[in-house]
Amino acid sequence: MDISRRDFLQIAAALGILGVGGNLMAGSHKRVDEITATDIMDFKPVGKVSLLHICDLHAHIKPLYWREPSTLISAPNLTGTPGFLCGESFADFYGVKPGTLEGYFDTYLNFEELAKKFGKMGGVAYIKSVVDEIRRDRGKDNVLLLDSGDTWQGTAVALKTDGEAIVKAQNYLGVDVMVGHWEFTYGKERVRELIDMLDAEFISQNIIDNDPFSDDFEELVFKPYTIKEVGGAKIGIIGQSFPFTSTANPKRFTEGWSFGLRLDTLQEYVDELRNDKKVDCVVLLSHDGFSVDQEVARKVHGIDFILSGHTHDPGPKPITINGTVIIIAGSHGKYVGRLDIDIRNKRVVDYNYKLIPIASNLITPDKQGIELVDALYRPYDQELNQVLGKTKGLLYKRDTFYSTFDALIGEAIRDEMDNEITFTPGYRWGTTLLPGDDILLDNVYEMTAITYPEVYTFELEGAKIAQLLEDIADNVFNANPLYQQGGDMSRLTGVTYDIKIGAPSGKRISNLKVNGKPLDPNRDYVVSAWGGNLQSVGKNLRESKIRPVYDITADYIKKKGTVDISRQSNVNILDVGCGCPKAGGICS
Amino acid sequence: MERRGFLKGLAGACALTAVGAPTLSLGAEKPKSPNEISYEKALEVITNGKGAKDSDKVHLVVPEIAENGAVVPVKVTVNHPMEPNNYVKSIHILSTKNSNARCADIFLTPANGKAYFATRVKLGGTQEVVAVAELTDGTFIKAHKSVKVTIGGCG
Repeated sequence: MDISRRDFLQIAAALGILGVGGNLMAGSHKRVDEITATDIMDFKPVGKVSLLHICDLHAHIKPLYWREPSTLISAPNLTGTPGFLCGESFADFYGVKPGTLEGYFDTYLNFEELAKKFGKMGGVAYIKSVVDEIRRDRGKDNVLLLDSGDTWQGTAVALKTDGEAIVKAQNYLGVDVMVGHWEFTYGKERVRELIDMLDAEFISQNIIDNDPFSDDFEELVFKPYTIKEVGGAKIGIIGQSFPFTSTANPKRFTEGWSFGLRLDTLQEYVDELRNDKKVDCVVLLSHDGFSVDQEVARKVHGIDFILSGHTHDPGPKPITINGTVIIIAGSHGKYVGRLDIDIRNKRVVDYNYKLIPIASNLITPDKQGIELVDALYRPYDQELNQVLGKTKGLLYKRDTFYSTFDALIGEAIRDEMDNEITFTPGYRWGTTLLPGDDILLDNVYEMTAITYPEVYTFELEGAKIAQLLEDIADNVFNANPLYQQGGDMSRLTGVTYDIKIGAPSGKRISNLKVNGKPLDPNRDYVVSAWGGNLQSVGKNLRESKIRPVYDITADYIKKKGTVDISRQSNVNILDVGCGCPKAGGICS
Repeated sequence: MERRGFLKGLAGACALTAVGAPTLSLGAEKPKSPNEISYEKALEVITNGKGAKDSDKVHLVVPEIAENGAVVPVKVTVNHPMEPNNYVKSIHILSTKNSNARCADIFLTPANGKAYFATRVKLGGTQEVVAVAELTDGTFIKAHKSVKVTIGGCG
């Protein structure tokens, strides 16, 4: 019997005789202190083409701690599927051992202890070392670096330079092609300017001019695809920016542009690349989100690889749906995905994949990168390194309903606005601070650095609050991934509620209480909100109180000195017994 | 006339003919429209009580999630000949939950060459958009797709 390498890997993975990710990664079973940079890079090359993939850097050009979620709840039909795995269910599904380097990078398990052992993650100088080593190894003309977007936004240095610092970092890394989402929150004009500075190509098949009075009405805003000659093969790369940018972020930034999944035209471009342009391999560089891209693979035919992003999932193993292989490389610069492709007779015959963890303690950083990051930060160092206070416990983002950093922001807003309820958005980017860490102004920006930071305080009727929560819950827990927007549930301060995830749309939430009392549907509540557009449905906006969320949060931490945030969630899930259930809702 | 020019002229006009409740109907108070007509009633009137059969000949393109519920782009193509005695006589665009379910009625002749129509409709909330086509043999065929209308928020 002739067992191909891929078959062998699948069998081996099933038998558990290899390490994580179906790779010959000896490191995964070594004692943690034995792992070296060689283990991280260890890889069995395949074919001549290497596609390197990064996604959702969120402007973290310096290494950071980033804890993966301890609660990731989905509609029952999606529970335990890739995109809805965390902690124990993640470790179980992918065969990751808690306590190893992969366990530290991919799950929240023993995070605080392992953080001390393995140190910070990511950073462009470290990413660059990894990318350069692969370029040296494979020959630089055989390697492409592809970026699934959410790169320009997420830190003070990005916000204060209107994205320019991050474009410089991308040019330094040598990014070849990118798509976008948060990029668009700098506004259309700035996006154009930044693209002019960017060495990479910016492509998107799903952004169309939507202004009936413009000459470009219904025309593409960006090139839909690009064709790259790599390792003797023609690779067609189609761009898919975040389909719901104009509903998830303020419309004013992209006025006159229309987004959407646009699967009809996506299929047309796949066919065009295959039949007219005669490419050897079709790649979709996507910011759809991991679960949405699994639906895309079911509905669109002829894509070889989807390089996904947006939902921040680390995917140690590729998943294959209808012959389309989907990979996703986590977030915050924690990983580089390496995809080697063997192309023969104009078709893909084999591939190998590895999610390379950017463990800053184990990788020697590129000197030029350290200098670049220092230079980009220098004008802001004094301001951003201010110590505002200390945290007693772990401050983290993520989780479906509640996280300590969000709770801190909610408390800060409540303290200043003297409101009854605070809404904080369920973004999936931010930072993690370990117990006892100083909180720097830079850390506050890491949680809040957006171009629309205003905290609005206004009045909202009880009935509308209940309806809004149902509406938001339906965007997070819809059984159809195509109707999800890929974030976590909005965080509420001052409110507790019960939720039945599997209940029909509009009927999930019960026992809604505001500051301990049942919500009165007929009463107006004083509500503060940021990062969304709730103020547009409220009344009696307190104009004089509008202030950026980072200023409010920084002032509050200074006032408190040491913050001590409860780990207790304000939301009670009725139909799921743990934070990281396996398929069928099983909790181990 | 170029397709683009045609669409351009149309987009402005159709927004005015669209009907429906406010984009985000958060309040319980739904204004009672004098033209209120349910989807079931509208379908009955259009098809003369015959009803319409689901058909993949009707190709309906709508966004999964509306960017703006007040102007949701809808495109309909009916893959059917447009010959003198065998053609698509009309295309009707309906919504299942607007207070007036009838969004647009378009009447065609073989001279149209292709049974294609694009417009924008106003949707009062998450619901289905339905395209019904009448053929010269007196039958009706349709296609439907769900559009989510939401305040959005995550990211």
